[in-house]
Amino acid sequence: MAAASKATASSSSTVNGSISTLNNPRLLKMSYYFTILSPTDTPLFNIAFGTSKGGGDGIARFRFPETAQYMNQFIIHSSLDILEEAQWTNSGMYLKHIDTYPPAAAYITAFLTPSGARFLLLHQPPNLPSSTSTGSGLGSSSLLGTAGSTTRASSSSIAANPTSPQTEEAVRQFMSEVYESYVKTAMSPFYKQGMEIKSPVFRTRVTAAGKKWL
Amino acid sequence: MSSTKTSRIGEEIWKTRVDKVNAELVTLTYGTIVAQLCQDYDSNYQDVNKQLDKMGYNIGMRLIEDFLAKSGVGRCANFRETADMIAKVGFKIFLNVTPTVTNWTSDNTQFSLIFEDNPLADFVELPDDGRAQDELWFSNILCGVLRGSLEMVQMQIEAHFVSDVLRGDDTTEMRVSLVRYIEDEMPPEEE
Amino acid sequence: MAAPRHATMQSISNGGTQGSDRPHTQQSQQAQQSQQSPGLRVPSNRKTIYDRHLNRSRNAELSRASFAFLFGEMVTYAQRRVTGIQDLEKRLNEQGYPLGLRLLDLLFYRSTSTSSSALSSSSTSSSPPNRPLRIITLLHLIHGPLWRLLFGRAADALEHSVSPDTPNEYMITDNDPMVNTYISAPRDMSMLNCAAYVAGIIEGVCDGCGFETKVSAHNQPTELWPSRTVFLVRFGDAVMEREKVLERAGVK
Repeated sequence: MAAASKATASSSSTVNGSISTLNNPRLLKMSYYFTILSPTDTPLFNIAFGTSKGGGDGIARFRFPETAQYMNQFIIHSSLDILEEAQWTNSGMYLKHIDTYPPAAAYITAFLTPSGARFLLLHQPPNLPSSTSTGSGLGSSSLLGTAGSTTRASSSSIAANPTSPQTEEAVRQFMSEVYESYVKTAMSPFYKQGMEIKSPVFRTRVTAAGKKWL
Repeated sequence: MSSTKTSRIGEEIWKTRVDKVNAELVTLTYGTIVAQLCQDYDSNYQDVNKQLDKMGYNIGMRLIEDFLAKSGVGRCANFRETADMIAKVGFKIFLNVTPTVTNWTSDNTQFSLIFEDNPLADFVELPDDGRAQDELWFSNILCGVLRGSLEMVQMQIEAHFVSDVLRGDDTTEMRVSLVRYIEDEMPPEEE
Repeated sequence: MAAPRHATMQSISNGGTQGSDRPHTQQSQQAQQSQQSPGLRVPSNRKTIYDRHLNRSRNAELSRASFAFLFGEMVTYAQRRVTGIQDLEKRLNEQGYPLGLRLLDLLFYRSTSTSSSALSSSSTSSSPPNRPLRIITLLHLIHGPLWRLLFGRAADALEHSVSPDTPNEYMITDNDPMVNTYISAPRDMSMLNCAAYVAGIIEGVCDGCGFETKVSAHNQPTELWPSRTVFLVRFGDAVMEREKVLERAGVK
């Protein structure tokens, strides 16, 4: 297995990420994991990507890269009970931020299609350089404060704070764009509910929506 | 009859004498039919094509009555005129499209219909199973419709698709060949 | 619920960790992915279903006769593969069902993408549409927007069962259903059967919204409306239970 080399590779990228974050708070980059689940919780589509706004490279850097896929799916699935409750109290399609998983600093945002598919987006801010900045637990909010006072706040705040109104609006735009592509997929007579979405064009569209809004 | 006049007839009938329905209901219903056939025939697309053609044939035999009643047109002078009538009146009033008639053979017995628009195929993406794009003619029912309706007016024809944008081709083209004029025969039994 | 969920967690393997770390890893994952699904061929203009605007055919019309011919063939074909009328209706219902799911998504897409909501029957508000949480909201969606999309007008009546034994039963009436009016062939078909297709569509819409339902079509002619059809919508027990909870919680 390439596990060893993978781990080395990712730790070096984490270091790079930390340095740039340290130097410039506005370059704080979010990692995203987006998944579509059928009404019966079958995964139909998955994609991981990172912040593109504010000069981000669009590459996800999860905190624990070796276990990221498993962890992300685990976190998303453990938010489903909350989602089901929200589903019957909030009649919107976009349910906004529904759950947080503190151990991984992961935030879950949800969008429900009327036909019962669930779009779930996990956001994870990068590891803050806790060894250098003390009181790190509050690091992300203080960084937001700094960024919020600058003129280019709107793009960077998406990355900095998963629950801010700007982020919720950006995610809403992202979800709506994915929804449009999803409806196009579902309209084809050969697509049956619960089928995995394999179209490379669909993947490209989701990637583009991520680049555009997140 | 001149080609422009034929176009005008088609337009006029479509505007004034055709009861309309939401196009998407038709599109989605046709999609349902094809998807159901693919399921029933276990994705044996040759069989699906055949079944679609057969359904179209049954439709064609009934549709011609409706066509003649609405259009009031008489017998065409030749096969070229027939082709024009099919494209500009027939397709216009039943599918609200006017395919282009082209690629005639020198003996005027074969032509192509090129479909710029095909409402039957709206929203459709063929199954990504490595075969459907090579084997399934999604709109094959149209071949049967032509075969059935022309047979009722004493023309035996053969029709098949040669390309389809759903398969990744640049055009959707149906090839139509006149086999013979049927003289003094009883119309065949329904299939 | 937790157990089956975790069991399905990793049933998708492709793309799961795509882009999670270094570019070279990403490349190899893309290669793996393209092996799994090379995708369909596309015309040289690269147009796919994703390039076609969903509203393109929104107001498009086709000949009713074409619909009748296609639908007639669908029924004839179905008839040959079933053993009785009930079986036939079941089959038509099943063919309508996925259409209901599609139309539901299409309706909501259209009301989010345009300022005049396709879902609001009276108000002109441009706020995003709401997913139906309560039975009555759902039935209004079917009676109004769904019927208009399919048949160009709202259904004629929406009623709740008056019997205390069947509080879960609702009726949607169409005085002159298009699927019956224009079906000339096959001639021996009972009108009832054709509306089973529409019943399936309704069932798909209800189920999609999370309301487990059985819908059946019944021919109830009057002197004035010889092909009047009543769609009987029967919600499942779980739906009725939830309805009570939502009522108490004040959810609209």
